[in-house]
Amino acid sequence: MNESTLFLITFICYIMAAVFYLFFLFSKKGNLAKTGFRLAFLGILFHTVALGLRTVESGHAPFTNMYESLSFLAWASILAYLLIEKKYLIQKAGPYFMLIVIALMALASSPLMPKEATPLVPALQSYWLWLHVSVTLLGEAFFAVAFITSIMYLVFDSQEKKGKTSSPTLTAAKLDSISYRCIAVGFPLFTLGGLIFGMVWAYKAWGSYWSWDPKETWSLITWFVFALYLHTRIVMGWKGHRSAFVAILGFLAALFTYFGVNYLLVGLHSYA
Amino acid sequence: MKSFISFFSSVKLAIFLLIIITLASIIGTLIPQQRSPAEYVAQYGQLAGLFQKLQLTRLYQSTWFITLLFLFSINIIVCTLTRLTPKLRRLLRPKIEKEAKRILALKTKDKFSKNWRLERSKEEIKKALLSHRYRLKTSEEKDQVCLLARKKTLSWFGSDIVHLGLLVIIAGGIISGLGGFRKSISLSEGQIRAVPEADFQIRLDKFETELYPNGSVRDWKSTLTVIENEKPSLTKTIEVNHPLSHKGFVFYQSSYGWDWKNPAVEIHIKRKSDPSFVRKIEVKLGEQVPLPDDNIVISVKHFVPDFVINENKQVTTRSLQPNNPAAFIEGFRDDEQAFSGWIFAQFPDFDQIHSQKETDYRFELRDFQASQYSVIQAAKDPGTNLIWIGSTLMMIGLVLAFYWPSREIRMILKEKEGRTEVIAGGLATKSQETFQSEFERIMNALRRSK
Repeated sequence: MNESTLFLITFICYIMAAVFYLFFLFSKKGNLAKTGFRLAFLGILFHTVALGLRTVESGHAPFTNMYESLSFLAWASILAYLLIEKKYLIQKAGPYFMLIVIALMALASSPLMPKEATPLVPALQSYWLWLHVSVTLLGEAFFAVAFITSIMYLVFDSQEKKGKTSSPTLTAAKLDSISYRCIAVGFPLFTLGGLIFGMVWAYKAWGSYWSWDPKETWSLITWFVFALYLHTRIVMGWKGHRSAFVAILGFLAALFTYFGVNYLLVGLHSYA
Repeated sequence: MKSFISFFSSVKLAIFLLIIITLASIIGTLIPQQRSPAEYVAQYGQLAGLFQKLQLTRLYQSTWFITLLFLFSINIIVCTLTRLTPKLRRLLRPKIEKEAKRILALKTKDKFSKNWRLERSKEEIKKALLSHRYRLKTSEEKDQVCLLARKKTLSWFGSDIVHLGLLVIIAGGIISGLGGFRKSISLSEGQIRAVPEADFQIRLDKFETELYPNGSVRDWKSTLTVIENEKPSLTKTIEVNHPLSHKGFVFYQSSYGWDWKNPAVEIHIKRKSDPSFVRKIEVKLGEQVPLPDDNIVISVKHFVPDFVINENKQVTTRSLQPNNPAAFIEGFRDDEQAFSGWIFAQFPDFDQIHSQKETDYRFELRDFQASQYSVIQAAKDPGTNLIWIGSTLMMIGLVLAFYWPSREIRMILKEKEGRTEVIAGGLATKSQETFQSEFERIMNALRRSK
């Protein structure tokens, strides 16, 4: 089986997982969510093999162009989601989160993304490629989970205020705390992978640890927004709505750093 | 002084500054930085002058941005210090709780009675807490022992260590900005150049470009020798991602180029009337080579690596890459120009030769060679080590703040009629559930023990 077939099987698993999660949302039958979880898990197994195969075939880390990087981000997002779901039992986030993953996978498989593995340009030939990209994207995956739980918080909270409690196990307050937990994982990962490993690599490859390149600046902006989230929450006691908005803003900044900078701004960091 | 401290110890100020710095950074990514004034005029028209006045075109180096960073740093220092003092006091001179009421007001608590004398209870409880790695402080009175057990108290200082790391990084950035410099040095093989502001020179021994089978560049490698006091002292082959460090200077493989001013070209001369006739000549720019079998002398007058005709209808080169190499050749017969014109490596059939008389010759540009030079970036950045120290501190601080939860157990043991009444309460900064279960485990074990 080659990599593109595996990628397709993975994609189908994720779509089916999304469908089961969606049925669960309407029918409230726990078994459907369990099937969704298992399908997503099966998907990530295939995905892991696909990424591994690509690494072996291309001889380098599987995130050197936009296709590879999107596929890896989808993988990291599923990993983050499955861990968080297992720990905090947020099956209801499943359908929404799977939509993000499907969007990433669809973008990766769009004809706009060149798929062939190209040999590495000299600047990317470094083990820092592994460290910098994988840790950063894993951090961003946790920001993505926090993004979904924050949006769900806003919805659940407005329902609870109307007197409708949508679920006895998953309350708005719990979603608020889960968002915080996700950011507590994502923030150190993003700091280490995105900023620190990024600086070390920039120093080795470009001769300067910081050059206010748009990609660098936007990762700093993302970091500032999450620093804002943590300080308003821990020191000033923000919770609920305002915290959720900052978390959403943080993820959007991360998304722009990942995507927007490459397509809208010009800079050194033109790989992915 | 007091009002200075109260102004800068405000978290609201920190958040305000953080938002302003974030917005400024965003503006800096939307307006291209450090371009020439003409480019700004072309892009923004009349706004260009305003941008330059507000220093938006070199925003991150502007006085106002650096002032913001400076205020932010003072803010972080004052905020951290004002919060550090009570924490240090709590660490070094802890208050041992003696009021049972307050312990029972805690979320995590327990109360039980044990058929031990006070002395025995104290020893058993100490043993239990020590085995869970708690550090203990006790205050003993006649028929009452008060206990304070804590562990992972370093957690309290996680955020302070993050802030310290951030300040060290900012300091490193300032030192880099003030004392750092970078300069490109172009070197051909064998050439020696002095390193600016250093007491040594570098020599390029060898430069090679490695290609992938598809022709794209795999790597550039420069073998450099450091020359000190006219003696070679160190040789290393550098490539992208693998620089050479020496005496605070770092040398990076930055770029490369060809010395197109002195190329050597290979020309194949053919006869239109006789397909079997091929003569190869190698000629350097400006050199004259006689054509075998004829009294013609050929010379190459110009060479361009990337032929293009500009708006003034002049031949020039579009880039320094050999994308469309072309040579201008001349032929002389008895000191009289017989023919001249451009020949192209990529278009051998594109005959542009003008001649006085009809000529039987065809010329093909088959090969060209120019010595390659390597561009080395020499950089001195005295702030770098502080950046790594600051980054390490920051990561240690983040791990402590998020994943090293401090735990505290407060207990009062009272002797009543030969038994001990135990009151216990617990406090944890993070991961309450794990602490709750540890607390219950300790208490239940004490309850059961004989």
